[in-house]
Formats: sequence, C-alpha cells, structure tokens
Amino acid sequence: MPVISLFAWMLVIAFLAFIACMFEDLESDIGSQSNPNSQIQLAPEMGYIHRYFNKAISGEGLSYALSCTIAGAIAMLMLLKLEPMLVAKGMSLGYAAVLAIPVGAAVGSLVHMVRASTCYVGREAAHKRFEQPIYLDVFYGHLLPIATHNFMAVICITAIAYIQSNLGLLSGVAGASNPFPLPLLCLIWGLTVGAIGSSTGDIHYGTERAFQDKPFGEGRRVVYHGQICRYGDCGIRTSKDVAAFCAKYGGPATGLTFGLIVLFENWRTVIGMLLGGLSVEGLANPAVAAAGGIGIGIVIAAVLTILNRMLEKWTRNKYGPFVGE
Amino acid sequence: MGEEEAKEEKAKPKEEFKLSFDYFNESRLGIFALIIGALIAIFPGLPAFIEGIGMIIVFAWGADSVRKTARYGLGTGVPSIGVLAVGFGIVGGIAGIAIASTHFGTLVVGGVEIAFGVLAGVALLALLGFVSGNLANGDKFIDMKIPGLERGMTELGIAGTLAVLIETSILAGTYHITKVLPNVVNNGLIAAIFILSAFGMLQPYNTCLGADERRGRTLLMSIEIGGIASIILGIAATLTLSAVEGVPLIVLGAVVWVAYYRAYMKACMEEAYATPGTGLIKTLGG
Repeated sequence: MPVISLFAWMLVIAFLAFIACMFEDLESDIGSQSNPNSQIQLAPEMGYIHRYFNKAISGEGLSYALSCTIAGAIAMLMLLKLEPMLVAKGMSLGYAAVLAIPVGAAVGSLVHMVRASTCYVGREAAHKRFEQPIYLDVFYGHLLPIATHNFMAVICITAIAYIQSNLGLLSGVAGASNPFPLPLLCLIWGLTVGAIGSSTGDIHYGTERAFQDKPFGEGRRVVYHGQICRYGDCGIRTSKDVAAFCAKYGGPATGLTFGLIVLFENWRTVIGMLLGGLSVEGLANPAVAAAGGIGIGIVIAAVLTILNRMLEKWTRNKYGPFVGE
Repeated sequence: MGEEEAKEEKAKPKEEFKLSFDYFNESRLGIFALIIGALIAIFPGLPAFIEGIGMIIVFAWGADSVRKTARYGLGTGVPSIGVLAVGFGIVGGIAGIAIASTHFGTLVVGGVEIAFGVLAGVALLALLGFVSGNLANGDKFIDMKIPGLERGMTELGIAGTLAVLIETSILAGTYHITKVLPNVVNNGLIAAIFILSAFGMLQPYNTCLGADERRGRTLLMSIEIGGIASIILGIAATLTLSAVEGVPLIVLGAVVWVAYYRAYMKACMEEAYATPGTGLIKTLGG
C-alpha cells in the first residue's frame, strides 16, 4: 500500500507540474519574456513603435528561479517556525504547510511583479531616440495578470518541492524524501519550469503571434528582425491579448511537455525502485534500482526520438520542403 | 531607531545628486566597493544592517561590472554574465569560509572575530576571473575580442565572492563552518543567496539595455534590488539569528527599496520619449 501511495504522490507532482508550466508559459507571454523579447526589443529600432509590454527581467529560467526560490525560502522559514508549535499542540504538520506554501508563493509573485514593473519603463526609456513612449495603461494593465499567472505557477512549484522533501512522511516509505532542502528544490524546479516554458512555449507565441507571414520551415531572416505584427483581432495589440491566444494551444502544450517530462521521470524511478525491491523500510538493492531506472529512461528517450523523427518526416512530406532546400 | 534615521539621511542626498553617479565613475566605484566590501566581509560579527549596506554597495559594483563586460553587444548574454559572477562567488565564498574556519584563518581580538582567511577566497577568485577572462579573450584561445573582458571578469569574481561572503555572515553571524552549515547551507538558504545576488548584478543592465541606456539609472536599480534582498535576508536572519539582527535589516531594506524604486521609476518616466496615459501608435495612423 505505501508503494501505491508513493506512485500516487508522484502523479500529483506530475499534475502540479502540468499546471505550473502552463501558467508559466502564459505569464511569460504576457510581456514577451525570453526569446520573443528580443524582437519586441528590436522593433522600435526598426521603426515599429508598439504597445507590447517589455518584460526583460532576464531569461525565463532565471526569473522563475528567483520567484520560486523566494517562495521556497519564505515557506521554509514559516515551516521552521510553525511546525514546532503544531507538534507542541499535538496537531498534524500539514496545517503548517497549508499556511506556509500560499504565503511564500504570494511573496514570490509580489517580487516578480515588482521586477516586471521596472522592466517595461527601463527598456522603453532606453528607446528614447526611436520615439517609443511609455504607455501608462499598458504599464498598469499588465502588472496584475503577470502577478496572478505567476502566483499559480509558483504555488504549484512550491507545493511540488514541499511534497518531494516530505515524500517519505507522506507516502510512508522510508527514505523516499528528497535530501535537498525546500529552497534548493524550488531553485532547481524554477529553473526547469522556466527553461521548458521558454523552449516550448515561445515558439507558438513567436511564430504565430509576433510573426504571421513566415514561409514554412524558414528561420526568421535577419533583415526582418524586429518587424513584428502590431495589430490585434480588433485594434492595436497589447501583450494581454497574446495570452488569450496562447491559452488555446501554446500554454497547454507547454504544460503537457513539462508534465510528461516529470511523469516519465517519476515513472521510471518508481519502476526502477520496484525492481530494486521497494518496501516500507526502503530499498533492498539500490544498485539494481538505479540501473533499472536508467535503463528504462534510455528506452523512453529512444522511443521519443524515433516518434519525433517520424513526425518531422510526415510534416515535411505533407507541407512541402523547407524554403531553401 | 537612530539607525533608521541615519539611513534615511544617507538615502536622500544620493537621490538628489541628479541620479548621475558622476563622482563614482567605474574605477572609483570599484575601489570604494572593494575596500568597503572587504572591510565588512572580514568582520562577520558586525550588526546585520551594516553588512546589508555593504551588500548593497557590492551589488552596485557587480552590476557596474556586468554593464562594463556586457556593453559591447552581449545582448542575451547579460544574465549569463551575472550568474557566472555569482557562480564564481559561491566557489570563492565556500573557499574563503573553509580557510577562515581553520585556526590560522580567524583572529579573535577582544572577543571580535576578524576573519582574514576569507580574503584568500577573494584573491583566489580574482585570479580565477582574470585567468578565465584571458582565456576567453586571448587570441590563442577563444579570441572573443571584447574590450575590458579581463578586468570585468576579475571584478565579477571579487564582487560575487564578497556578496556571497557578506550574505553568509548576515545569516550566520560568523564564518565558522559549524554555524554556517546549519544556518546557511543545510536549510537551503544558500539558494536564496545565490539567486538574490545574481539578480542584484544581472538584472539592472539587462532591464535597462538599449540605445539610450544610462549608467546612473542602471545603478539605481541595483541598489533597489539590494533593498529587496535586505528585506528577505532580514526575515531569514530574524529566524536564524535573532530579531535584533533581522529587524533593522528589514527596516533598512524597506527604506532603501522605497527610496530607490521611486527614484528609478521617476528617472525612467522623465527620461523616456513620452509618458502618455494611453494612446494609439502614431506611425499606424492612430
């Protein structure tokens, strides 16, 4: 039974990862962080004055590492303070987490919102000679969507880190807890969620929203850099409209990517642990568990590579050769 | 209370000297921050709020070094440079703390701990930064031909190490490894130290990047991030050490953050081409 609950907790982590990365991608689209940001940044220099929000905190990986680590640190400090009080009263430790995780995530996303607010004014002020104004409605109107989407992502990441560092207690399997402390797990997960959101989600935003007239398979030529599409469905586009568009496909696809990565990762680990003789007391044979887990991981990677190659071949045949081939 | 008032007085004239940092040009800021940072780093027993001031100055220097290094068209590499600096810093900080924990690394004079050993870590990373700058720029190796890269990398190594050391001493109150491990490393707060220092150095230039970037504005922002870092480290120090250490640091952080956030936002809004409440784009005929 503990083994089943271990797997159940891992499914919960995969589900939280799905939600986290979906909101992470949508948040990065509100304000064009990461890759599309270089085009938003170049646009005024090419004479394309725009009403996009320019959220150049840093790459997505690092800025999510910041908000998630702050959330994790605050949550850890609260747990440190609250858990002894609960123990003294004979109550369950879970009550502390119910308070600590949301408060930590709120502080993290507040810091993220402050960082985002400095970016728009900073970058547009540096575009003075290209006559790019700071639109105050764009500035104020984007801060709350950024904070709320970020909160959803950060609370999920903090919850994942909390579950991982207390997995032994939660599932009843000895030694299942992650040895890393909560803030460090939050740093690692924050970097990961940002990296996946950047690599997967930006493509949908970049190719289908910022550039809408691109031949199939062509990379954007340098001559056309900065020539972004500035019209929305009705009137002139702001970054908030991009989130509504990307919520239909880009965001869920990104969430699915991250969720699947976490699911496969956890699945292969649990199968490996079962091979290594998992019981309530922990692993009977850690070497077999590690070897089994790595073996299954290699098989999964090989299958995914073959599937990707098949998809690419099918796409090339169906939609014609790439430009320049 | 006296500390807070003194801090407010310090914040105001800086805001008034037209946000220019003219006196503190690149070399002067570097020397000033190096001396102040090293002095504060070797006295780990200082009150946390004085260490907070040192941390903010070191952040400003680090941000200036990132600006110096990345100014020649590094673009998307700006955050990487900042992270590199703090990566240097973690290595140098741990090395310095290890040396300071030995019996010859720390002198105790009249109950005051003077940790000369940490300067060995700073020197090590200065050397490492110089070597890596030379490797990246030298024509026998990668040959990146970025002007001033050797100097920039050396400064980043030192600034990163000083930032990590000062933040460690804020949280632990000493460099002794038996206190540093439970207070900083085992509870994971080292992750917060890493990411906060990285943002103090990388975000200012990354955010202000552009044709009309101005050094004064960029540095204002690094001090503002120092304020946020002080608040968060103050909360942590309240729990790891005591409220006597933590609360003045929180107050310092709050005052610095409010003053410099306002100054930065004002500077940006005034120096932008225009700041209309709303409007369409004139080149689109709106």
